[in-house]
This record gives sequence, C-alpha cells and structure tokens, in this order.
Amino acid sequence: MALQVLEFEFKSAATQEIAKEWSHLGVTGSGDLEVLMEKKALNGGVKAKVVTPVKGFDAVWEKMLGKFVTDTGVGNVSIEINDDNATPIVVYMRLRQALAEATAKEAE
Amino acid sequence: MKNWTELENSSFFDANARERALGMVDKGTFTEFLNPLDRYCSPHLPVLGTAVEFDDGTVCGVGLLGKHPVFVVSMEGKFIGGAIGEVNGGKMVATIRLALKAAADIKAKYPEEYAARRPLVAVSFETGGVRLHEANAGLLAHAEVMDAFQDCRGIVPVVAVVGSKVGCFGGMGFVAAATDVIVMNEEGRIGLTGPEVIEQEMGKDEFDASNKALVYRTTGAKHKYIIQDCNYLVEDKIGEFHKTLAEVAEIPMAEIEKMRRIGSLKLVQEQQELVKLVGDMQPKDSMDLWKYFGNEDPAALPEMTTAEFLKVVKRRVRS
Amino acid sequence: MEELDNTMIGRGRDAIDMIIDKDSFQENIIDGYSFDPDYGPGSVVGTAKLNGKPTTIIANDAMAFNDRFPVVFGGVIGLEEGYKMATAVYRTMEADKDKPLPEKRAIVLIVDTPGNGPGKMEEIAGMNKSTGGYQLALAEARKAGHPIVAMVIGRAISGAFLCHGLQADHILALSKDFGTMIHVMPLTSIARITKMDIERLEELSTSNPVFAAGVDFFYKLGGVQEIVNQVEDMREVIIRHIDEVAKLKAEGKGELLGPWGRGILGNERGGRTHRMEAIAKVNAEFAAVADKYINA
Repeated sequence: MALQVLEFEFKSAATQEIAKEWSHLGVTGSGDLEVLMEKKALNGGVKAKVVTPVKGFDAVWEKMLGKFVTDTGVGNVSIEINDDNATPIVVYMRLRQALAEATAKEAE
Repeated sequence: MKNWTELENSSFFDANARERALGMVDKGTFTEFLNPLDRYCSPHLPVLGTAVEFDDGTVCGVGLLGKHPVFVVSMEGKFIGGAIGEVNGGKMVATIRLALKAAADIKAKYPEEYAARRPLVAVSFETGGVRLHEANAGLLAHAEVMDAFQDCRGIVPVVAVVGSKVGCFGGMGFVAAATDVIVMNEEGRIGLTGPEVIEQEMGKDEFDASNKALVYRTTGAKHKYIIQDCNYLVEDKIGEFHKTLAEVAEIPMAEIEKMRRIGSLKLVQEQQELVKLVGDMQPKDSMDLWKYFGNEDPAALPEMTTAEFLKVVKRRVRS
Repeated sequence: MEELDNTMIGRGRDAIDMIIDKDSFQENIIDGYSFDPDYGPGSVVGTAKLNGKPTTIIANDAMAFNDRFPVVFGGVIGLEEGYKMATAVYRTMEADKDKPLPEKRAIVLIVDTPGNGPGKMEEIAGMNKSTGGYQLALAEARKAGHPIVAMVIGRAISGAFLCHGLQADHILALSKDFGTMIHVMPLTSIARITKMDIERLEELSTSNPVFAAGVDFFYKLGGVQEIVNQVEDMREVIIRHIDEVAKLKAEGKGELLGPWGRGILGNERGGRTHRMEAIAKVNAEFAAVADKYINA
C-alpha cells in the first residue's frame, strides 16, 4: 500500500542546461503530477526520482524519462516527480512544460 | 506558468493555488513559505499509499499590496480535495500568526503610519475541510485557525477569497464564515454540509445533490451575496480579486468590523432573525428567501452575468 | 459493538447533575438574562454552582427534538442551538465584564454531540455561521480570562466537536470504557470515501494517532488533556482543571491553553511533531525576508 519510490540515473548529451536554479510545475492531482527540476552538477547526467502510488510501472517510467532526456538533451539536472496516476502522455507533456518553465528567462 | 500580467487577466476559477497566490498580490512581491524546493510533504500519506505534494496542497507566503504585507494561504483543490492535514494546517496557522507579528513590528516601527502599512490575511479557500488520511491532526488544525482569527480581530483584516472548483465546505465552511470579509466570484460556494451528505440525510426528494443548479442556489455566491454572507461579488479574474484585496487593505478597522457576519452578541442576534425567518418560512429553495428580500423574479437571478445581477439584486437588509 | 451499561452517551442532563453542586442548576438563566425555553432545545444552557462558584454550563440534550428543524435531534447542534450556545457565552462575558481576572466565572462544556445540523434549511440560512459564531464566542471568552473546560462524556464527532469542545482551554474525556467516541468519521466511511482498503486502515488505526479514532489517540495528539476513568471523578477533575487554567491565565500563560496549547502538548506527547516543525520553518523563512515586507 505504501508509495513507490523509483530512482533513475541517465547519461545525457547535455546540450541543454536549465536556466533557473530550480523550477516547479504542476499539481499532484488525480491523473496528474508535479515536477521539480533542480540544477545540479552531475557531469552532464540526469537524476530522476518518482514517487507514485502506482505499482509495477518502473520500466515504463525509466523508458519515458530516458526518452525525455534523449529528446531534449537536458543535463545537469535532478528531476523529482510526485505522481498520482498520470498517463504516460500526461507525464511526457508535463515534463516538456516543466523544462520550458525551467529554461525560460525569469518571468517578468 | 503564466507571468503576473497574464495571471491578472486569467480566470480565478481555473487557476491553481500557486497562481492565485501570486496574482492576488502586487507584481513580483510574493515569497512562498515552505515552497516546493523545501519538499515538506505530509509524512502521513505514504503509509496509506496516497500521492504526496511538495507543498502539501497549500501554498502559503507573503506579498504586498502597496505597503501592506499580505499573508496568503491558498488551497489546492486538485490535491486531495484541498483538505487540511497536519503539515498544511501548521503552515496555515503559522502564516496567519505571522500577520499578527508583522502588525506588532510595524506598529512599533511606524506608529504614525500603521494604517498605511497594516497587514492583511487573505485565504483562498478550496477545500472540503479535514483531510481524512490524517483526520485528527486536520481537525485540531481547524480549531487553531479559528483561534488565530479571533486573535486578529480588530488588528489585521482577515479576508476569505472563494471562487474555485471544490468550493469551501466542511470545517473550512465555518472558518471562512469567521473571517472579516468574504470575496467571491459567481462560481464560489461556501457551506458546511456537502450536497451529497444532505441528500443522504434528507432523501433525494428533499435535496437532489446531482441537481447542480439547486446546489448553487443553496451554497453559491449569489445566494451568499443576497443574504449578506458575501461582501464582494466580483468577476472571475484574478486581477479583480487582487483589486478588491487592495481596496480592503485601505478600509479602517472599525469599518472592517462592520463587514462581519458573526463574532459578537449583536451579530448573533442578527443571525437569529434570519434563522427565525427560515424556521417560520420553511423554504423549499433559496429562491423563497430571495423573493422575500424583494427579488420579484428570483428564477431570473442565477442566469444573469455578475454585472447584471449586481445591478438588480435586492439583498437582506441588515439590522 | 457490545452494549455498554455504563455509557454516558445521551445523558448530558445527568452529567450536569453529577458534576455540579447538588440541585444548583438554573437552566436558561445566566446572570440577569433569561433564555426562551423553547428555543434551541438540543442544547442546554444555564448557571450552576461548582465548588460554590457560579459557573456557566453548556451541554447537549440528545433526547430533545427541534420542531422547526427536523434534522436536529439526538444531540445534533442546529442553527438555533449554535446561536443559543454562543449567546450563553456572550452573556457570561457580559455578567463578569467589570470583574478582575480571578473572578471571571468558568464555563463548563459537557460534550455529547454527533454533528452539526445537516439539512437544506441549515445550508440556506448558513449553518456554518451558527457553529462558527459559537466558536468565536468561546475563543473570545477564553482570551477574556474565563476558564473553559470541556468534558467529553459521549460523542465528540468532527465539526460538532470543533463547535462544542475544541475552543476550550482544557479538554477532558471519559475513557473509552464508557463508549466515548472522538473522531472525524468512522473507518468504514473513510474507506469508502478514500477508496482505501479497510483492513489496512484498521491495521494503521491501532498505531497512527493522527488518523485513528478514539480518546487515547486524541490524548497522544494533545487534543485531550486528561482522561477520566470514573464517572464519579468528573466533578473533581473538572474543578482541578478550572483551577489550573485560572492559575495559568493569572500568570499570563494563555498560550499554553486552548488550541495553541494543545499543539504544544501534542508535540510533547510525540503525537503531532510535524506541525511544530512546519510552523518553525515558516517562521524562519519569513524572518529571512521580513525586512522587505515590514519596511515596504
């Protein structure tokens, strides 16, 4: 019954670092998730931590996060997710939005 | 996330808790307490297998309205219905008490300018009350908030801001009632017992919880405005709430006290008149009361835009 | 659940007699003020002598029905009941308003209530104001120096306990052997609403005080100051707590009482430690930026 805590590490081309020291997006609602990105010196790599009530999707999370890292070339960042049953499509969309937020110039 | 200017023109109803908090205060002035980077989640949810949130579902912080520090509590209805547990309850209480501390500091430092710098508490309610997963701690937190509100009496105005999806129900329904000033948009709802529970207690014939229009007529902002439980009914824009809060920040404390609905013997007596009216009338629907207060065609009111409604509505006359 | 022959549930009026000085209860009278006896029949208010001193009594009457508001029976606090209770508190303050702190009379709340009025008329008139109004009155009286002690003799359920009990200085409860119930919601309902597994909830309910129902867990959280193990002891324990509370008020230690005091107690007893930590962090984070806001 307890929450699942999944941790992953990815190597990255590290063509993109985030602009802000940290950035946050989203709400842990039913079928949704929040994403916290924090700039970290990880030799270009990416660390990810997912906290979710859903069991048995470790491989799916790893694949999706890996795809996100490959697609975007994001590096030197830690990604933390609190999930509540989001579908893979929502997860991927939120990751892209979170990255856009994290790389945007400071909001006016 | 939208920038501040975009937020001002955005729907309050559609906004999440953080967007509301940022947009209710002056541009660029909001500092969040225990923000997501602090990762202060509820320690009680993981054992129950319930998803957590870094802010525990409530955004707390401080901003400015001119020179007035505004202590903001903003609840997130998408996270466990905006319900109150140990951590977010503690954050809420702490934030309200900080307004009192700030008031004392400002009074000491700027005795001549207190009115212009007087702090304000603004709570954006979106909640069903106690979080069942940590129910006892949530219950006790409600009592602490009521206690803190009483401490604020006559020193800093406490404003309830209600206009989000979940509404404001359960214990938080009376917490909102205990504030000085209530600001709502048309979609806002405040009550104690949720519609489903009323249906369960009284039967579907008496109250059909799936009848959305009935639910709004019973607990919605227009009804609250008519019976004088809502002080300001505003358009559904974050900027409108911001503007209204800025206005309230300037109102003298003696006038603020007059905007209350409970909190003194005189106000209890005034409410008892309303209870007597309801007991004698035995209304089947809020519209019976609207008509009594002088609205000839009560059925037309729910359909009106906020502006039209404000132009024609007749309200309960306060004694 | 087995039948308890010693339960005090539904016996609010009997409890008054067990607690006060013999035959001293003047129902519906507080100082010079008289209440309409037909109004808010689900609540009982009046003045008694306790250890020789005038004391305001506020209790529930689980045997009464309110003819005007059909959901009000069995100890439910309805619209009239909440305002009647609030009025009793304001009249108490009025009675002693010119008296010095040590002479402010005590208020004893005898708690046995399953809920606030859950009806349509209640929502139309605004039940939230009735229960909220009573709580604000109690908070004001507590801060004005009246010692307020709540004695849970039966049911202290959720919002009704917030209304009638949780604004007291100290809360006492008969032990669970008397069938005393303190909770927000029964486990079966929690399971239904949260869709969590009832067996897991039952397992957790034996160990997790923030979540589990019952007097003992509320004690651990600081929500109950002291558990009373014998009905015959209620009177003495209440008198002792009134004296303790009065002493703390005289010493200017009001922060150790009421809801805030229960937070401190819950931290000491180890049942509610995260609340205190969250509060300390919020305070520290504001202190770091306070200048910008104080000197805007």
